[in-house]
Amino acid sequence: MQFLLLIYDKEQRWSQGYDPKEMAEYGQFGNQFAGAIKGGNALQPTGTAKTVRVRGGKQLTTDGPFAETKEQLGGFYLIDVKNIEEAVAIAASIPAARYGSVEVRPILVFAKSETSAAD
Amino acid sequence: MKYMMLIYRNEQDLDALTPEQKQRTVGATWAVIDEAKRRGVLVGVSPLERISAATTIRHDGDKVLVSDGPFAETKEQLAGYYILACQDLDEAIAWASKIPICGGGRGCIEIRPLRELPARESLFERQDAAVNA
Repeated sequence: MQFLLLIYDKEQRWSQGYDPKEMAEYGQFGNQFAGAIKGGNALQPTGTAKTVRVRGGKQLTTDGPFAETKEQLGGFYLIDVKNIEEAVAIAASIPAARYGSVEVRPILVFAKSETSAAD
Repeated sequence: MKYMMLIYRNEQDLDALTPEQKQRTVGATWAVIDEAKRRGVLVGVSPLERISAATTIRHDGDKVLVSDGPFAETKEQLAGYYILACQDLDEAIAWASKIPICGGGRGCIEIRPLRELPARESLFERQDAAVNA
């Protein structure tokens, strides 16, 4: 079962670059759960975000993220585990969980009839 | 440059779709995915289960706090994501405007550039490869 772990943290905390000690913790985290981690990335700060809407065929683009929040989406992991308990345990081991919060969302699996174009 | 496209749309709008509208949305979604694949820009893509299936984790000292529901209650909800490798933000915006949301209903797409990490974090390179696979 796949889960997306969405990491929300105050982006000001790493506006001067990432703390090497914390990065080392991420390295350890990555090694510990290498079998479960299918993907992941860090995101640039929300100041670089654009939000796009299309209404009546017209494209509306605004600067900034979809929502202003006290903590900002800073990165994610995609994991493959047996159940949500395992996903929660991995989420709690992400260093940022100590400072911000990690949202765990199961990946939606389309019915076979809807995925004919998939791999 | 790689960009993450975060798709926000009202979950209730989905329930209101007719089977035909739903099929059209799914078809249009696969058209975008197929085109992105063909042009070599698709890095990753996935829909998400609804927010009622979400769990949020925080630490309070040594204690782990687990709560039901998403990080934030919003009028539109995170429904899925794409990661696309584009030349620049203009190309990313062009791709984003092609992604159907709920058959043209309410919703929006947030575009966020991925952050390049120091080379010593080879872990992230490996993850990238996994997403590509």
